[in-house]
This record gives sequence, C-alpha cells and structure tokens, in this order.
Amino acid sequence: MTPEREPKAGANLLLLLPWLILVAMLGLTWVVWDLERTSTRKELRSEFDFALRETVNRIEQRVASYEQMLRGVQGLLTTTDLTNRKAIHDYVDTLQLDANFSGIQIVGIAQRVAAQDRAAHVAAMQRLGNPDYTIHPESRNDMHVLVIQREPYAGLNMAPIGLDIWPDPVRRLALEKARDTSLAAITSKVHLSIDTEAEAPSSFLMYLPVYAPDQPHNTVAQRRAHLIGWIYAGFHMNDFMASLYGKQSPGLALSIYDDVNPSPSALLYRTGDDSPGRLPGSAPPLTATEYLVVAGHTWTLSLSTQSEFESRFGRNAAAVIAVAGAGLSGSLALLVWFMITGRARALRLAAEMTEELRHMAQHDSLTKLPNRALFSDRLNQELARARRNGDHCALMFLDLDEFKIINDSFGHAVGDELLREVAQRLQLAVRATDTVARLGGDEFVVLMPELQGSGAALGLAEKIRSALHAPFLVNGHTLSISCSLGVAIFPDNGDDEISLTKSADDAMYRAKDGGGDSVRIGHLAV
Amino acid sequence: MIARSLISFLLALGAIGPACAAAFDCARPYTLALHEHGLLYSADTDSGIDKDVTDELIRRSGCKVTVSLLPRARIWQLIESGALDFSLSGISNAERERYAGFAWYFSNKYYLLVRKDSGVQNLAAFEGNERLQLGTIRSFRYSESANRLVDRLQAANRLNQSSGLAPLYKTLMLNHIQGMIIEPFDFPALEAKAIRDSTSIVEFNDPSVPHGLIMSKRSLAPAEQAQWRALIDGMRRDGSMRRIFDKYFKPELAASMLDFQPPP
Repeated sequence: MTPEREPKAGANLLLLLPWLILVAMLGLTWVVWDLERTSTRKELRSEFDFALRETVNRIEQRVASYEQMLRGVQGLLTTTDLTNRKAIHDYVDTLQLDANFSGIQIVGIAQRVAAQDRAAHVAAMQRLGNPDYTIHPESRNDMHVLVIQREPYAGLNMAPIGLDIWPDPVRRLALEKARDTSLAAITSKVHLSIDTEAEAPSSFLMYLPVYAPDQPHNTVAQRRAHLIGWIYAGFHMNDFMASLYGKQSPGLALSIYDDVNPSPSALLYRTGDDSPGRLPGSAPPLTATEYLVVAGHTWTLSLSTQSEFESRFGRNAAAVIAVAGAGLSGSLALLVWFMITGRARALRLAAEMTEELRHMAQHDSLTKLPNRALFSDRLNQELARARRNGDHCALMFLDLDEFKIINDSFGHAVGDELLREVAQRLQLAVRATDTVARLGGDEFVVLMPELQGSGAALGLAEKIRSALHAPFLVNGHTLSISCSLGVAIFPDNGDDEISLTKSADDAMYRAKDGGGDSVRIGHLAV
Repeated sequence: MIARSLISFLLALGAIGPACAAAFDCARPYTLALHEHGLLYSADTDSGIDKDVTDELIRRSGCKVTVSLLPRARIWQLIESGALDFSLSGISNAERERYAGFAWYFSNKYYLLVRKDSGVQNLAAFEGNERLQLGTIRSFRYSESANRLVDRLQAANRLNQSSGLAPLYKTLMLNHIQGMIIEPFDFPALEAKAIRDSTSIVEFNDPSVPHGLIMSKRSLAPAEQAQWRALIDGMRRDGSMRRIFDKYFKPELAASMLDFQPPP
C-alpha cells in the first residue's frame, strides 16, 4: 500500500460523516416520534378507559339510587297494607320524584291475585274508590299480577288500573327474579303500558318484591309462598340516562343495548354520532364493549372515541417532532458537510489559483503561447536529451515582415488580434511535439525536437512561411503578411542555447536583410 | 430474665387466646358484600360457597353483619374507602395489600376457556391471533401469566369487560368473545351441553393462587382483623371449611383447593 492511500481512505470516511449524521439524526427523530406517538396513544387509552369506567360507575350508582328509592316504598309497606293508596300516594309525593328522580316515569304497586280471588279483589278495589275497576286483559290464568296503583297520579299515569302484567313474558321474567332473590330486578327493553303512541320510547321496569309482613323469606320457597306483590318503577331510557350524576366526557359515542347482542332492535340508548367524518390517516377510534349487570339484568355498553375526544386528550406533538426532527437532521448534516469539505474546497481553490499563476508565469498573456522562460526551459531539456542520444533538433526564429505598418495603420487592437491569429496558425502548422513560443513583439520561436536532419527543419519552415501567406480576416480587415525565418540545427549550428539562439537569430536577420518572406539556415559552427 | 418474661407473657397470651375466641369482640355491626360468580354465590338460588362461609362467620362471631350483593369492582372500591368491612374469595396484589387484609382459606388455578372453532391450543396462539377477543370481569385479577395476558390484550383493545360472569358465557356462545378466564367455581356452567361442546380448556402454567376473606384496613384495626383471621383458621382446622367445599366440589378437588400453604 502506498503511503498516500491512507489519508485518502480517511478523507472518504470523513465524507461519509454527514450521511451518517443524517441517518443517525433521522433515526433518533423516529425513535422520539414513535415514543411520543406511543405515549400519546397510551394517554388517550387511559383517558378512554377512565371514561368507560366512569360511565359504568355512573349507571350502576344511579340504578342503585333508584333501587334505594324503591326500598323506601318497600319499607313503608312493612308498616301498612299494599292497598293503602293514600299512604303510598303521600309517601311518593314526599319523594319529590321530579327533582330527585327525574328518570322515573312511574312508581307503581302490583298485587298478586290468585284466580279464585279475582272477584273478591275486583269488589275490594271498587270499594276503594275505583268503580270502573276491571282486570284487563281478560285471561284464564291461575294467577294475576295486577297494577293497582300508579304514582304520581297525573297525566299518562292516570291510565286505567287493573292491568294484568303476569302474561307478558318480559315482565314476568323480572317479576319472578325479584320474587326469588328478594333483590331488585330489571326487565328487558319494554314499552311502558302508559305509553300508548306507536313510537314509544325505549323503556325498562325495575321490580322489588313485597312479602307478607311477619313471614320469613330467607329461602326461595319461603319467598314464593309469602309474596304478596311488587313495587315497581318505570323508566324511559333517555330520561334515565339524562338523570345520571356527573357529566359524560365530550367526544364519545355511547350506545346501550339490551342484553348481550348489540342489534338495532335491542338498542336502548344512543348518544353521539357513531361515524363522524374522520381525518384521513388518523388512528382508528378507540372502542370498547362492556357488559353491565344492573339489578340482575345485562346491558351492553358500546363506547367509542370521536375526533373531538382525540383532539381534546391527544397531543399533536408527534407531527411537530417528525417535521422539526427531519428539518434539524437535514440542517445538521448540511452543516457538517460544509465543515468537513471546507478545507478540501479551500485547498482545491488554492491549487487552481496556483496553477493559474504558474500558467501566467510561463505563458504569453496575449497568445497563450509559452513565453521566453518556459521556452528556454524546454530548449535546455531538449538539448540535454539530444546531446545524450546524439540526436538532432532545430531552433527556428520567426519575425513578421512589416508588422509595424499594420500596427500603425490599424491600431494595436488589430495588431494584437493578428498576433493571436498568427499564433494559432503556427500551432496548426507544427508537429504535436514541437513547441511554439512568443518572445515579444512580433517575434516567435519554434523548437523542433528529434529531427532527422536539416532538410526536415527547412521543410517545416517553408510550411510555416506558406501557412502565413494566406490572408487574415481581422476585425473586418483582410490583411496579408509574410515572415522571415532563421533556422539553427543542433549540433551543426551551435551546441548550446546561446550559440544556437545566436545562429538562428543571425539567419533570421539575413532573411530579413534579403527582403523578407524567406528562410535562412544558420552558419556551421566553427 | 427478659427471655423468661417474654416466655411467660406468651404463655399468658396462649392461655387467654381461646377465652377471647369464645367471647368475640363485636365492636359494631359490620358490612359484608357478596358478588355473583358461579358456585361462589348465585342470587337466583341465594346460595353458594361465599354465602355458606358468611353464614358460618356470622354464627361463630355472633356479630351483626349486613350482607349485600354488589359488583366486584364496586366491592374493591368500597373496601378501599372503608365503607365496606368484608368480602369473600379475594386475591391479593401489591395495590390491594395497601388497603386490604386477607384471611386465606383456599387456593385455585385459573384456566382459559376458548371456543373450539378459534383453533387455539395454547396461550400464545390466543395472544397471537389479533381477531380473538377475551372477556373478563372488571377488577378481577388472576394468576401471574393470566394477568399478563389480560394486560396485554387490554392495551391492544382486545378486552371486553363485564360486571358479571353470566354475560361472558352468553357472548362466548354468540362468538363476540372467543375466550374467558375461569376458575373451578365456574365448572358447573361447563356442564351445559352447548358450552361444553363448543369450548376447550387451556391451562395457565401458574401455581395455585390463594383466596381469602377480604378485610378493609381502613375500617378494621389490625387486632380486629386478627380475630376474624382466627375465625377463618378455626374453620379450616375443625373441618367446617372442608364440609362447605365438599357441598360444591368432588372430594379430590375440594381437598386440593383447601390443601395449600397460606402466604405469610
């Protein structure tokens, strides 16, 4: 390995540095962006989980508070009869349902009546101030569960009492559950009997059992034996949801379905649009399904985020990080590239300027031909070579005839342009190995190395002389000139620079003295 | 000298111990909550292991205890706040240790119940298939690897939570969830033909997890907790706990659940 190669390899590595920095910085940006995105997602997820838990809690607590309210009526009925309408009316009145339990449409009493007691029951109810009391719909069942009171007694709740709810399988299931467990039980989705319009709101009923006073109800058998009726509350689902304590987080779509199958027919409640326009490229919404067992009945809660929730709790830092990181990475890589290549670019500039200076020092500024110094150098090299090899070479002096007249007649600009044209023709006329130089004014020299003999030198001189015969077109002037040439051959006409130059110079003056436009060869050296 | 005093003090404690048990200190009426869960408690039949243990605790302590039925998540919240004194069949973790004391009386393993048509043979296959949803009960914790599975699936939006067990069986049958975590109390549900035919059981390779009486640290002083813990230990010693479990499980399973080393 040459010693020069190591720094070169090092320099190449150095040139890779900006790219390495760009890749590293972009990598770092990606890592930070990914971290931020993950943590935003996590934060959003945890906010969402919290909102879900809160929703579940609020529903559970509200159901519990309604159950508690019914327990109050249940407590009242341990001290009075199921048919004590006034006591129940007054009690419900003091509850101030409107203010405290706005989700409730109705608080009612349902009495269990065996088939054989129907007539006595109807008679008793009519005696209690309901002369039109009848059992409806008519049925031949061996047991009836009859609505005997609805509170608050106003508006829709004034519908005729005596409704038998036992034949309805939905109500019956909850009635039986409440009876057997002595706990509150909720029905599936129903239409309340007081809602007579076709598009009745989604509703549900909550039942609590009432057992005969002073009778045990510790076992299922005892409960079935000693049950006398039920207290119930009827709810419109929308009003129930509106009565929840606290506030639902904005930007969430909530649907509640009856039981576990979220079908349109089971829909109890919906808030928020399920499919709002989402920004393209945004992450999919967070969704969750939770099965809520309230008072022995299952509701399916379906919660999903909307853009509002995401923009509220999400941060947009990830996008900022991506853009800023990419920008900074590019800038830093560019800066490093400037710093690393700065020295190299300065050195290259210096080298270019040095080369230019060197060229200027060795060349004629007008014709760009080598000047006297460079020519002298080449001549000495050629003389040394020819001397070593016993070769010939020739030195030719050339002077334009009557150039001063052209200069004086047409001005220096035309004269200079003519000199440039002459230089070009000279270079075209000589061999590739020959050197043409300008010594100053209208004087040119040609060095012809590795010459076979004086004949070849004279032939080239003649070629040059005739090349300059053709007219020149300079700045619109057609100029015809001639030249005088003196040729000196090494070693015949001189064996060093001085003697050879003098011999060629002498020959040229002889040509000039002879009227110009001719070639003369130097005298043989003594 | 000090050692001798200590020994006589401990002997004295030993002598008055049984006397204390005989005269249980009921400082006030207590509250206890049950939750519906398989054989632990069913409101429909008003019976279950937890109910039996509760009845026995009430009988032995002679204290007035108000028993209510609540969702499990609500029970833990109330135990933490001190509004509820007791619940049953609880398992511990670092967070619960802060606010709850335990009196251990049985331990059991956890199992993943999966739909056969999900093609799942092991835990990794369930976790690896992004289409599969797991159903769990809100606030329930399980054995170590079951907890890990639940936490990962929750982060991946693959968890459907429920406040009770019954909806999970229904949704499993509807194929809305493809798996749920069960315990030996849930085995009777598997006897339903539809469930047995369409599901299989994958075991979590974790040791049995101890379960116990949950006592709120907020409402029960350490001395009070100790006397309730002594009641539980007494029930284990004299075979009454075994009699309760024998009512619900085959003798071998009952024995394996009760034969465990309680954590310190």
